Amino acid sequence: MTPDRNTQPSAPASGTAVPCLEIDALTVLRGQRLVIDRLTHRQNRGELCILTGANGAGKSTLLRSIAERLPAESGHIKCHLPRVYIGHADGLAGAISGRKNLQSWAAVNDIMVTGADIEQALAGFDAARFADMPVQLLSRGQRRRLALARLLLAPAPSLWLLDEPNTGLDQDSQTRLETAIAAHLLAGGAVMAATHIEMARSAATIHLAIGL
Amino acid sequence: MRPFIAQISRDLDIAWQNRQDVVVMLGFFIIIIALFPLAIGPKSAMLQSLGIPMIWIAALLSSLNGFDRLFAQDVRDGWLDQISLSALGLGWYAVAKAVSHWLTASLPLLLITPILALMLNIATTKLPALMTALLVGTMALTLLGIIGAALAEGARRSSALIAILVLPLAVPVLIFGALAAATDDGIISPHLMLLGAMLALLLAMAPLVAATALKIGETESGI
Repeated sequence: MTPDRNTQPSAPASGTAVPCLEIDALTVLRGQRLVIDRLTHRQNRGELCILTGANGAGKSTLLRSIAERLPAESGHIKCHLPRVYIGHADGLAGAISGRKNLQSWAAVNDIMVTGADIEQALAGFDAARFADMPVQLLSRGQRRRLALARLLLAPAPSLWLLDEPNTGLDQDSQTRLETAIAAHLLAGGAVMAATHIEMARSAATIHLAIGL
Repeated sequence: MRPFIAQISRDLDIAWQNRQDVVVMLGFFIIIIALFPLAIGPKSAMLQSLGIPMIWIAALLSSLNGFDRLFAQDVRDGWLDQISLSALGLGWYAVAKAVSHWLTASLPLLLITPILALMLNIATTKLPALMTALLVGTMALTLLGIIGAALAEGARRSSALIAILVLPLAVPVLIFGALAAATDDGIISPHLMLLGAMLALLLAMAPLVAATALKIGETESGI
Protein backbone atom coordinates (compact mmCIF):
# COMPACT_ATOMS: atom_id res chain seq x y z
CA MET A 1 0.00 0.00 0.00
CA THR A 2 2.72 2.44 -0.90
CA PRO A 3 1.72 5.46 -2.90
CA ASP A 4 3.16 5.18 -6.36
CA ARG A 5 4.01 8.66 -7.52
CA ASN A 6 4.11 8.57 -11.29
CA THR A 7 4.84 12.23 -11.55
CA GLN A 8 6.33 14.47 -8.95
CA PRO A 9 3.57 16.78 -7.76
CA SER A 10 4.30 20.27 -8.90
CA ALA A 11 3.70 23.00 -6.38
CA PRO A 12 0.44 24.92 -6.70
CA ALA A 13 0.41 28.42 -8.07
CA SER A 14 1.07 29.92 -4.66
CA GLY A 15 4.57 28.45 -4.49
CA THR A 16 5.17 26.04 -1.61
CA ALA A 17 3.24 22.80 -1.26
CA VAL A 18 0.32 23.22 1.12
CA PRO A 19 -0.94 19.98 2.65
CA CYS A 20 -4.73 19.75 2.60
CA LEU A 21 -5.26 16.11 3.57
CA GLU A 22 -3.25 14.15 6.11
CA ILE A 23 -4.11 10.54 6.80
CA ASP A 24 -2.14 8.75 9.51
CA ALA A 25 -2.18 4.97 9.98
CA LEU A 26 -5.85 4.75 9.09
CA THR A 27 -7.48 1.39 9.74
CA VAL A 28 -11.08 0.75 8.75
CA LEU A 29 -13.14 -2.38 9.31
CA ARG A 30 -16.21 -3.33 7.34
CA GLY A 31 -18.17 -5.66 9.61
CA GLN A 32 -15.43 -8.08 10.71
CA ARG A 33 -13.35 -7.61 7.59
CA LEU A 34 -10.21 -5.49 7.59
CA VAL A 35 -10.46 -3.27 4.54
CA ILE A 36 -7.90 -0.53 5.07
CA ASP A 37 -4.79 -1.38 7.06
CA ARG A 38 -2.65 1.46 8.44
CA LEU A 39 -2.86 3.67 5.41
CA THR A 40 -0.80 6.85 5.48
CA HIS A 41 -1.26 9.47 2.84
CA ARG A 42 -0.43 13.13 2.31
CA GLN A 43 -1.99 15.29 -0.30
CA ASN A 44 -1.23 18.88 -1.18
CA ARG A 45 -3.44 21.50 -2.70
CA GLY A 46 -3.42 21.41 -6.47
CA GLU A 47 -2.98 17.64 -6.54
CA LEU A 48 -5.17 14.97 -8.06
CA CYS A 49 -5.08 11.60 -6.34
CA ILE A 50 -6.41 8.65 -8.29
CA LEU A 51 -7.26 5.60 -6.19
CA THR A 52 -6.45 2.37 -7.96
CA GLY A 53 -7.38 -1.13 -6.94
CA ALA A 54 -9.66 -4.02 -7.79
CA ASN A 55 -13.38 -4.06 -7.03
CA GLY A 56 -13.86 -4.38 -3.30
CA ALA A 57 -10.32 -3.25 -2.55
CA GLY A 58 -11.59 -0.41 -0.36
CA LYS A 59 -11.59 2.67 -2.59
CA SER A 60 -15.15 3.63 -1.64
CA THR A 61 -14.42 2.77 1.99
CA LEU A 62 -11.52 5.21 2.05
CA LEU A 63 -13.58 7.97 0.44
CA ARG A 64 -16.47 7.37 2.83
CA SER A 65 -14.10 7.50 5.81
CA ILE A 66 -12.74 10.85 4.68
CA ALA A 67 -16.34 12.01 4.15
CA GLU A 68 -17.13 11.06 7.77
CA ARG A 69 -19.58 8.36 6.80
CA LEU A 70 -17.56 5.46 8.21
CA PRO A 71 -15.95 5.50 11.63
CA ALA A 72 -12.26 4.58 11.62
CA GLU A 73 -11.03 1.76 13.83
CA SER A 74 -7.80 3.64 14.49
CA GLY A 75 -5.72 6.37 12.93
CA HIS A 76 -6.44 9.98 12.07
CA ILE A 77 -7.78 11.90 9.13
CA LYS A 78 -7.07 15.60 9.08
CA CYS A 79 -8.54 17.70 6.34
CA HIS A 80 -7.81 21.41 6.02
CA LEU A 81 -10.28 22.20 3.26
CA PRO A 82 -14.07 21.95 3.03
CA ARG A 83 -14.98 18.55 1.60
CA VAL A 84 -17.45 17.79 -1.15
CA TYR A 85 -18.40 14.14 -1.53
CA ILE A 86 -19.96 12.62 -4.63
CA GLY A 87 -20.72 9.01 -3.75
CA HIS A 88 -22.50 6.18 -5.54
CA ALA A 89 -25.82 7.77 -4.64
CA ASP A 90 -26.38 11.15 -6.19
CA GLY A 91 -27.80 12.87 -3.09
CA LEU A 92 -30.83 14.12 -5.00
CA ALA A 93 -34.45 13.83 -3.89
CA GLY A 94 -36.53 12.30 -6.67
CA ALA A 95 -39.71 14.22 -5.97
CA ILE A 96 -38.30 17.72 -6.51
CA SER A 97 -36.47 19.35 -9.40
CA GLY A 98 -32.72 19.39 -9.90
CA ARG A 99 -32.65 23.15 -9.44
CA LYS A 100 -34.40 22.88 -6.05
CA ASN A 101 -32.02 20.08 -5.06
CA LEU A 102 -29.03 22.29 -5.81
CA GLN A 103 -30.55 25.26 -3.97
CA SER A 104 -31.26 23.22 -0.84
CA TRP A 105 -27.77 21.69 -0.95
CA ALA A 106 -26.22 25.15 -1.05
CA ALA A 107 -28.50 26.33 1.76
CA VAL A 108 -27.76 23.44 4.16
CA ASN A 109 -24.07 24.11 3.57
CA ASP A 110 -24.68 27.78 4.28
CA ILE A 111 -23.27 28.76 0.89
CA MET A 112 -24.75 32.00 -0.37
CA VAL A 113 -25.72 31.46 -4.00
CA THR A 114 -27.63 33.62 -6.41
CA GLY A 115 -29.79 32.39 -9.25
CA ALA A 116 -26.91 33.15 -11.60
CA ASP A 117 -24.55 30.89 -9.61
CA ILE A 118 -27.00 28.01 -9.95
CA GLU A 119 -27.35 28.67 -13.69
CA GLN A 120 -23.59 28.69 -14.05
CA ALA A 121 -23.19 25.42 -12.16
CA LEU A 122 -25.93 23.82 -14.27
CA ALA A 123 -24.33 25.14 -17.46
CA GLY A 124 -21.00 23.61 -16.39
CA PHE A 125 -22.49 20.16 -16.91
CA ASP A 126 -25.02 21.24 -19.55
CA ALA A 127 -27.86 20.38 -17.17
CA ALA A 128 -30.03 23.51 -17.49
CA ARG A 129 -32.32 21.83 -20.02
CA PHE A 130 -33.67 19.26 -17.54
CA ALA A 131 -33.11 21.13 -14.27
CA ASP A 132 -36.79 21.88 -13.76
CA MET A 133 -38.03 18.31 -14.12
CA PRO A 134 -38.54 16.09 -11.07
CA VAL A 135 -35.30 14.16 -10.65
CA GLN A 136 -37.11 10.80 -10.62
CA LEU A 137 -37.96 11.29 -14.32
CA LEU A 138 -34.33 11.75 -15.32
CA SER A 139 -31.86 9.18 -16.64
CA ARG A 140 -28.87 7.90 -14.66
CA GLY A 141 -26.45 10.14 -16.50
CA GLN A 142 -28.63 13.23 -16.18
CA ARG A 143 -28.86 12.74 -12.40
CA ARG A 144 -25.11 12.33 -12.27
CA ARG A 145 -24.65 15.63 -14.05
CA LEU A 146 -26.90 17.39 -11.52
CA ALA A 147 -24.92 15.79 -8.67
CA LEU A 148 -21.65 16.92 -10.23
CA ALA A 149 -23.01 20.46 -10.63
CA ARG A 150 -22.72 20.67 -6.82
CA LEU A 151 -18.95 20.71 -7.27
CA LEU A 152 -19.22 24.03 -9.07
CA LEU A 153 -21.32 25.51 -6.25
CA ALA A 154 -18.91 24.43 -3.52
CA PRO A 155 -16.65 26.95 -1.84
CA ALA A 156 -13.20 27.24 -3.42
CA PRO A 157 -10.71 25.90 -2.59
CA SER A 158 -12.12 22.58 -1.46
CA LEU A 159 -11.30 18.88 -1.51
CA TRP A 160 -13.46 16.90 -3.91
CA LEU A 161 -14.03 13.26 -3.01
CA LEU A 162 -15.30 11.55 -6.14
CA ASP A 163 -16.44 7.93 -6.10
CA GLU A 164 -16.76 6.66 -9.68
CA PRO A 165 -17.75 10.13 -10.85
CA ASN A 166 -18.11 9.19 -14.50
CA THR A 167 -20.63 6.37 -14.11
CA GLY A 168 -23.35 6.88 -16.68
CA LEU A 169 -21.81 10.01 -18.15
CA ASP A 170 -21.68 10.54 -21.90
CA GLN A 171 -18.48 11.55 -23.69
CA ASP A 172 -19.29 15.26 -23.62
CA SER A 173 -19.99 15.23 -19.87
CA GLN A 174 -16.78 13.33 -19.16
CA THR A 175 -14.86 16.05 -20.96
CA ARG A 176 -16.73 18.65 -18.90
CA LEU A 177 -15.79 16.81 -15.70
CA GLU A 178 -12.13 16.71 -16.71
CA THR A 179 -12.26 20.43 -17.50
CA ALA A 180 -13.86 21.16 -14.13
CA ILE A 181 -11.23 19.08 -12.29
CA ALA A 182 -8.37 20.79 -14.13
CA ALA A 183 -9.75 24.25 -13.32
CA HIS A 184 -10.33 23.24 -9.70
CA LEU A 185 -6.73 22.02 -9.28
CA LEU A 186 -5.39 25.16 -10.88
CA ALA A 187 -7.39 27.27 -8.40
CA GLY A 188 -5.69 25.52 -5.47
CA GLY A 189 -8.26 22.81 -4.80
CA ALA A 190 -7.57 19.09 -4.48
CA VAL A 191 -9.30 15.99 -5.79
CA MET A 192 -9.33 12.38 -4.67
CA ALA A 193 -11.12 10.16 -7.14
CA ALA A 194 -11.83 6.45 -7.42
CA THR A 195 -12.28 5.72 -11.06
CA HIS A 196 -11.61 2.91 -13.49
CA ILE A 197 -11.70 5.28 -16.41
CA GLU A 198 -8.56 7.12 -17.40
CA MET A 199 -8.83 10.83 -16.87
CA ALA A 200 -6.59 13.21 -18.75
CA ARG A 201 -3.35 13.39 -16.80
CA SER A 202 -2.74 16.74 -15.27
CA ALA A 203 0.62 17.91 -13.99
CA ALA A 204 0.22 16.70 -10.41
CA THR A 205 -1.28 13.25 -10.33
CA ILE A 206 -0.67 10.78 -7.52
CA HIS A 207 -1.69 7.17 -7.86
CA LEU A 208 -2.59 5.54 -4.60
CA ALA A 209 -2.95 1.77 -4.75
CA ILE A 210 -5.60 0.48 -2.39
CA GLY A 211 -5.89 -3.15 -1.33
CA LEU A 212 -4.37 -5.58 1.10
CA MET B 1 -30.36 29.06 11.15
CA ARG B 2 -30.45 29.16 7.35
CA PRO B 3 -29.36 25.51 6.88
CA PHE B 4 -32.01 24.45 9.42
CA ILE B 5 -34.81 26.32 7.63
CA ALA B 6 -33.52 25.00 4.29
CA GLN B 7 -33.76 21.38 5.47
CA ILE B 8 -37.32 21.90 6.68
CA SER B 9 -38.43 23.61 3.49
CA ARG B 10 -36.80 20.85 1.43
CA ASP B 11 -38.77 18.22 3.37
CA LEU B 12 -41.99 20.19 3.05
CA ASP B 13 -41.37 20.49 -0.70
CA ILE B 14 -40.94 16.73 -0.97
CA ALA B 15 -44.00 16.11 1.23
CA TRP B 16 -46.07 18.41 -0.98
CA GLN B 17 -45.06 16.36 -4.02
CA ASN B 18 -46.13 13.20 -2.13
CA ARG B 19 -49.23 14.75 -0.55
CA GLN B 20 -51.34 11.67 -1.16
CA ASP B 21 -49.41 10.08 1.74
CA VAL B 22 -50.96 12.62 4.13
CA VAL B 23 -54.44 11.85 2.81
CA VAL B 24 -53.88 8.11 3.33
CA MET B 25 -52.66 8.71 6.89
CA LEU B 26 -55.64 10.94 7.69
CA GLY B 27 -57.98 8.31 6.25
CA PHE B 28 -56.37 5.69 8.51
CA PHE B 29 -56.89 7.94 11.56
CA ILE B 30 -60.55 8.62 10.70
CA ILE B 31 -61.32 4.95 10.02
CA ILE B 32 -59.82 3.77 13.32
CA ILE B 33 -61.97 6.28 15.19
CA ALA B 34 -65.07 5.49 13.14
CA LEU B 35 -64.69 1.76 13.84
CA PHE B 36 -64.85 2.12 17.63
CA PRO B 37 -68.48 3.28 17.84
CA LEU B 38 -69.46 0.48 15.47
CA ALA B 39 -67.91 -2.10 17.80
CA ILE B 40 -69.12 -0.53 21.04
CA GLY B 41 -72.65 0.22 19.93
CA PRO B 42 -74.69 3.41 20.11
CA LYS B 43 -74.49 3.91 23.88
CA SER B 44 -73.58 7.58 24.09
CA ALA B 45 -72.49 7.50 27.75
CA MET B 46 -69.90 4.83 27.01
CA LEU B 47 -68.67 6.65 23.92
CA GLN B 48 -68.25 9.79 25.96
CA SER B 49 -65.96 8.09 28.46
CA LEU B 50 -64.03 6.14 25.82
CA GLY B 51 -63.79 8.95 23.26
CA ILE B 52 -60.64 10.63 24.51
CA PRO B 53 -58.57 7.44 24.95
CA MET B 54 -59.69 6.37 21.47
CA ILE B 55 -58.45 9.58 19.92
CA TRP B 56 -55.12 9.14 21.70
CA ILE B 57 -54.65 5.57 20.54
CA ALA B 58 -55.61 6.46 16.99
CA ALA B 59 -53.20 9.41 17.02
CA LEU B 60 -50.42 7.19 18.38
CA LEU B 61 -50.94 4.50 15.75
CA SER B 62 -51.25 6.88 12.83
CA SER B 63 -48.25 8.94 13.86
CA LEU B 64 -46.12 5.77 13.68
CA ASN B 65 -46.86 5.77 9.99
CA GLY B 66 -44.09 7.23 7.90
CA PHE B 67 -41.27 6.91 10.41
CA ASP B 68 -39.85 3.97 8.46
CA ARG B 69 -39.33 6.29 5.48
CA LEU B 70 -38.17 9.28 7.51
CA PHE B 71 -34.43 8.64 7.25
CA ALA B 72 -34.49 5.66 4.87
CA GLN B 73 -35.28 7.83 1.87
CA ASP B 74 -32.45 10.27 2.62
CA VAL B 75 -30.02 7.39 3.16
CA ARG B 76 -30.97 5.76 -0.14
CA ASP B 77 -30.75 9.04 -2.05
CA GLY B 78 -27.35 9.79 -0.54
CA TRP B 79 -28.65 12.97 1.09
CA LEU B 80 -27.40 11.83 4.49
CA ASP B 81 -23.85 11.67 3.06
CA GLN B 82 -24.24 15.29 2.05
CA ILE B 83 -25.65 16.25 5.46
CA SER B 84 -22.79 14.72 7.46
CA LEU B 85 -20.35 17.09 5.74
CA SER B 86 -22.71 20.06 5.75
CA ALA B 87 -22.95 23.12 7.95
CA LEU B 88 -26.22 21.72 9.32
CA GLY B 89 -24.82 18.65 11.08
CA LEU B 90 -26.67 15.48 12.00
CA GLY B 91 -28.17 16.77 15.29
CA TRP B 92 -29.90 19.77 13.77
CA TYR B 93 -30.81 17.64 10.79
CA ALA B 94 -32.69 15.29 13.15
CA VAL B 95 -34.52 18.25 14.72
CA ALA B 96 -35.43 19.59 11.27
CA LYS B 97 -36.77 16.15 10.31
CA ALA B 98 -38.87 16.10 13.49
CA VAL B 99 -40.32 19.54 12.75
CA SER B 100 -41.22 18.72 9.16
CA HIS B 101 -42.63 15.32 10.13
CA TRP B 102 -44.78 16.92 12.82
CA LEU B 103 -46.04 19.57 10.37
CA THR B 104 -46.94 17.03 7.70
CA ALA B 105 -48.13 14.09 9.81
CA SER B 106 -49.38 15.37 13.18
CA LEU B 107 -50.75 18.81 12.37
CA PRO B 108 -53.38 17.46 9.93
CA LEU B 109 -54.51 15.02 12.67
CA LEU B 110 -54.84 17.88 15.14
CA LEU B 111 -56.86 19.94 12.70
CA ILE B 112 -59.36 17.17 12.07
CA THR B 113 -59.68 16.11 15.73
CA PRO B 114 -62.47 18.59 16.71
CA ILE B 115 -64.74 17.07 14.06
CA LEU B 116 -63.99 13.53 15.23
CA ALA B 117 -64.57 14.61 18.83
CA LEU B 118 -68.06 15.73 17.82
CA MET B 119 -68.62 12.33 16.23
CA LEU B 120 -67.63 10.63 19.50
CA ASN B 121 -69.95 12.86 21.50
CA ILE B 122 -67.13 14.48 23.49
CA ALA B 123 -68.39 17.64 25.24
CA THR B 124 -67.15 20.79 23.50
CA THR B 125 -66.07 22.18 26.87
CA LYS B 126 -63.43 19.43 26.96
CA LEU B 127 -62.02 20.33 23.57
CA PRO B 128 -59.48 22.99 24.66
CA ALA B 129 -57.84 20.62 27.17
CA LEU B 130 -57.89 17.75 24.64
CA MET B 131 -56.33 19.86 21.89
CA THR B 132 -53.61 21.29 24.14
CA ALA B 133 -52.69 17.83 25.41
CA LEU B 134 -52.65 16.46 21.86
CA LEU B 135 -50.47 19.36 20.70
CA VAL B 136 -47.80 18.64 23.33
CA GLY B 137 -48.26 14.87 23.14
CA THR B 138 -47.87 14.57 19.36
CA MET B 139 -44.66 16.60 19.55
CA ALA B 140 -43.28 14.20 22.15
CA LEU B 141 -44.38 11.20 20.06
CA THR B 142 -42.66 12.65 16.98
CA LEU B 143 -39.39 12.98 18.90
CA LEU B 144 -39.71 9.38 20.13
CA GLY B 145 -40.34 8.35 16.54
CA ILE B 146 -37.16 10.12 15.42
CA ILE B 147 -35.16 8.02 17.91
CA GLY B 148 -36.84 4.82 16.76
CA ALA B 149 -36.40 5.64 13.09
CA ALA B 150 -32.69 6.45 13.50
CA LEU B 151 -32.05 3.27 15.52
CA ALA B 152 -33.96 1.06 13.08
CA GLU B 153 -32.40 2.65 10.01
CA GLY B 154 -31.01 0.03 7.68
CA ALA B 155 -32.87 -2.84 9.33
CA ARG B 156 -35.19 -5.06 7.34
CA ARG B 157 -38.89 -4.59 8.14
CA SER B 158 -38.00 -1.39 9.92
CA SER B 159 -41.62 -0.28 10.40
CA ALA B 160 -42.36 -3.22 12.71
CA LEU B 161 -39.09 -2.66 14.54
CA ILE B 162 -39.87 1.03 15.03
CA ALA B 163 -43.28 0.15 16.48
CA ILE B 164 -41.66 -2.26 18.96
CA LEU B 165 -39.05 0.33 19.93
CA VAL B 166 -41.34 3.32 20.19
CA LEU B 167 -44.67 2.05 21.54
CA PRO B 168 -43.36 1.00 25.00
CA LEU B 169 -41.60 4.37 25.34
CA ALA B 170 -44.82 6.10 24.35
CA VAL B 171 -46.71 4.66 27.33
CA PRO B 172 -46.01 7.62 29.68
CA VAL B 173 -47.02 10.06 26.95
CA LEU B 174 -50.24 8.11 26.45
CA ILE B 175 -51.04 7.94 30.18
CA PHE B 176 -50.46 11.60 30.97
CA GLY B 177 -51.82 12.75 27.64
CA ALA B 178 -55.12 10.98 28.16
CA LEU B 179 -55.32 12.22 31.78
CA ALA B 180 -54.54 15.80 30.76
CA ALA B 181 -57.18 15.65 28.05
CA ALA B 182 -59.89 14.19 30.27
CA THR B 183 -59.25 16.42 33.27
CA ASP B 184 -61.76 18.91 34.68
CA ASP B 185 -59.04 21.16 36.19
CA GLY B 186 -58.93 23.45 33.18
CA ILE B 187 -56.34 23.40 30.41
CA ILE B 188 -53.14 23.67 32.48
CA SER B 189 -53.41 20.58 34.63
CA PRO B 190 -50.56 18.85 36.48
CA HIS B 191 -50.78 16.07 33.91
CA LEU B 192 -50.18 18.53 31.11
CA MET B 193 -47.16 19.90 32.95
CA LEU B 194 -45.71 16.40 33.24
CA LEU B 195 -46.37 15.91 29.54
CA GLY B 196 -44.54 19.17 28.87
CA ALA B 197 -41.62 17.99 31.00
CA MET B 198 -41.41 14.82 28.89
CA LEU B 199 -41.41 16.94 25.75
CA ALA B 200 -38.58 19.09 27.11
CA LEU B 201 -36.54 16.02 28.03
CA LEU B 202 -37.08 14.44 24.61
CA LEU B 203 -36.23 17.71 22.87
CA ALA B 204 -32.84 17.63 24.53
CA MET B 205 -32.20 13.90 24.10
CA ALA B 206 -33.77 12.83 20.82
CA PRO B 207 -31.49 14.84 18.48
CA LEU B 208 -28.37 13.53 20.24
CA VAL B 209 -29.53 9.91 20.18
CA ALA B 210 -30.73 10.13 16.58
CA ALA B 211 -27.53 11.83 15.37
CA THR B 212 -25.35 9.22 17.10
CA ALA B 213 -27.40 6.36 15.68
CA LEU B 214 -27.21 7.82 12.18
CA LYS B 215 -23.48 8.38 12.47
CA ILE B 216 -22.45 4.96 13.69
CA GLY B 217 -25.03 3.02 11.70
CA GLU B 218 -23.18 1.39 8.84
CA THR B 219 -25.32 3.04 6.23
CA GLU B 220 -24.78 1.83 2.74
CA SER B 221 -26.44 4.39 0.55
CA GLY B 222 -26.78 3.51 -3.06
CA ILE B 223 -24.83 0.28 -2.77
